[in-house]
Amino acid sequence: MQSIQLFEDTVVRKERRIPTEGEVLVKPGDTVEPDTVVAKGVVENPDIRELKIYASLGISPDMVKNHMLKTEGDDVNKDEVIAIYRSFFGRSTKVARSPIDGRIESFSSTTGRAIVRGHPIQMMVKAHLPGEVVDVIDGEGAVVETRAAVLQGAFGLGGEAVGELVFAVDSADLPLTSEEIKAEHRGRVVVGGSVVTVDALRAAAKNGVSAVIVGGVDQKDLTEFLGYELGVGVTGGEDFGFTLIITEGFGVNPMDDARFSLLERHEGRLACVDGTTQIRSRIQRPEVVVPL
Amino acid sequence: MVVGGVIGIISGESAQRAALGAGALLMDQFSKDDRRPYFEKIARLRSLKPDIMLMAGGTDGGAVAQVLEMAGLVNTADVKPRFGREYQLPFIYAGNVEIRDQVKKVLGEEHYATRMVENVRPVISKENLGPAREGIYDAYMEHVIVHSPGYDELIRWSEEPLLPTQAAVGKILYAYAEARAMNLIGVDVGGETTDVYSVFNGIFNRSLNADIGITYGVMNIVKETGLGNVMRWLPPEMDERDIRNTVGNMMIHEYVTLSPEQKTVQAAVAREAVRLGLEKHKAIASRLKGVLVGRTISDIFKQALEQTIINMFKAQLVVGKGWVFRDQPALESAMILVDSLEPMGVTEIMVDRSSIMPHLGNLLGVNHDAALQILVEESLSNLATCVAPMGKAGEGEEAVTVHMTMDGSEMVESVKVGDTRLVPLGVDEVAEATFTPHRRLDLGAGRGKQVKKQIHGGEVGLILDARGRPLNRFRKTPKAPT
Repeated sequence: MQSIQLFEDTVVRKERRIPTEGEVLVKPGDTVEPDTVVAKGVVENPDIRELKIYASLGISPDMVKNHMLKTEGDDVNKDEVIAIYRSFFGRSTKVARSPIDGRIESFSSTTGRAIVRGHPIQMMVKAHLPGEVVDVIDGEGAVVETRAAVLQGAFGLGGEAVGELVFAVDSADLPLTSEEIKAEHRGRVVVGGSVVTVDALRAAAKNGVSAVIVGGVDQKDLTEFLGYELGVGVTGGEDFGFTLIITEGFGVNPMDDARFSLLERHEGRLACVDGTTQIRSRIQRPEVVVPL
Repeated sequence: MVVGGVIGIISGESAQRAALGAGALLMDQFSKDDRRPYFEKIARLRSLKPDIMLMAGGTDGGAVAQVLEMAGLVNTADVKPRFGREYQLPFIYAGNVEIRDQVKKVLGEEHYATRMVENVRPVISKENLGPAREGIYDAYMEHVIVHSPGYDELIRWSEEPLLPTQAAVGKILYAYAEARAMNLIGVDVGGETTDVYSVFNGIFNRSLNADIGITYGVMNIVKETGLGNVMRWLPPEMDERDIRNTVGNMMIHEYVTLSPEQKTVQAAVAREAVRLGLEKHKAIASRLKGVLVGRTISDIFKQALEQTIINMFKAQLVVGKGWVFRDQPALESAMILVDSLEPMGVTEIMVDRSSIMPHLGNLLGVNHDAALQILVEESLSNLATCVAPMGKAGEGEEAVTVHMTMDGSEMVESVKVGDTRLVPLGVDEVAEATFTPHRRLDLGAGRGKQVKKQIHGGEVGLILDARGRPLNRFRKTPKAPT
């Protein structure tokens, strides 16, 4: 079995970058907190719709240009009328509406079609860790460094999260049930023992828990909670309200003593977790980073 | 690779077969008639970043405007190669040869390293994949593998050009089928992918099921086929939760050795991986579309003309390759192939336990005979011969009776309809066998007609499988007579 790593005290360097050219808001030597914005930028919205305006108006394509209310470059709201055609002395009116909020990217007067693209998407990346900026990636982001205890999991779901490390169980071999998930766990990283039940997963989402770290989860319960079957082992984009990190594997698995005691020693400290997992040639395991 | 054509099921499919046959992992297929809007095709092409593009379209002297439109799409998309913006993406054109210059002009010289090869469909009724495959190998050598880490060192050790693994496996299987003048199906069950190779009447095909495998792709098998299809191969006492957890853990942990429970689950998911692989393979190994086919009176009574060239009655050999056939005992390995491929008639079953098939595929170019000799002596292991009749007969009736003669001694065994039977026949043993099917069952010679064959033994022996086809009895491991 491939080893899942654990470091009591190590230097963590994390690259923080946006997936486009943008503005970097930090410089080397800066001290950052988890919610410090490192870089921001704008990306083109992939939501693009082709509108057959001639069909909506019921006229030939070459007539459309005379009935357009908007032109290329105009912003439009969802359901806003962008072309109108009145016939029979105004008794019959047909309109073409925008299906989304966005901008008219192009209009062809020969084909009578327009393309509407959603508004640009604002991108930003936060530091996620408290630490120091040690390098800047021009136009894209920075590298943040911190001393930390690091624990990898076997499998995770959900992306990055931060919160105070709290224990919901007293021992590594105890299950994490819905009874142990309390209202005061909101925004916190909750540690369980051998397995998290499906009711506990629901309670964690309901109570706004930041992350759950636990030895195992029943794959059937997880499928029921997610509402779909997991396929290939590439995760991180799930959005069910919190991040889940499984340290040992599927089923009932008491958390490894070394992992449980490391977390115990850091109870009450800030934990920066990332459930992103990639089980493939370039393996990426989910991580719990506790800055020291 | 990304491939393109004018008509998806004609030139697009031929381009796909050429790419898969050359060992490529196919990322997407574009055609003039696919339903995606123009802008979506552009966005998709831009996002893919392939190593090589192949475009077909038009017979020689045929379509012009549609081919140029597809070339225009590729030009507008400005597809970037995986290895960064500083390289030109290899682009192979294998369409209408009479408009090569026009295609080159539309593509321009800036974005692509364009290579012209013979048309994959010079006329509608003929497929010519060889030159396109060679073009892919050349582009792979010149533009792709040179960027791989360690290439400089490796190329110094080899006098032969390096081939993608799947291409080399395909070459050695083709050479073996050619040498024995037989049809065969080979399956390679990997951790992340399942490849299926076939040689039928001298035509080679390969298909690939990405993300279907027994480690990284194991949970995806359950997702694709449904848990019920996996559970039908497992003992009924196994709990669904245990099965799901075992599958999940097989994905997230790289086990060096498997527990008995994990082995049982692995054998079940492997059956589904191969079955899914064969389904896809049948679609790829299809008769040429767009060709006018004369139909006879008997065809009119059939639901549809058979689309695939894969006929399990005519496959004389199936070969299994991959870790699963090394992890599993011989009988289980044989039954994985029998249950998933459902061979009919008399079929030899072999597995590769050596993992040297790709190397032998490359050795073919240096010493053809030596490569085949090593394949037979060191790579392929005879597991069994499977005898499976087709047709319907009453449950419990004698389905097949076999008379075997070996070294002067005789043996008679039989199997009843719905049952399986194992007849011992050792690795180096050869027997003259006469199979007599039930009067309503067919072993390839016609209903009730005897089949005489010399059969070779194996680690398992002779499997008599009278469960019928398609299979509807699943947990049936054959037992030797007491």
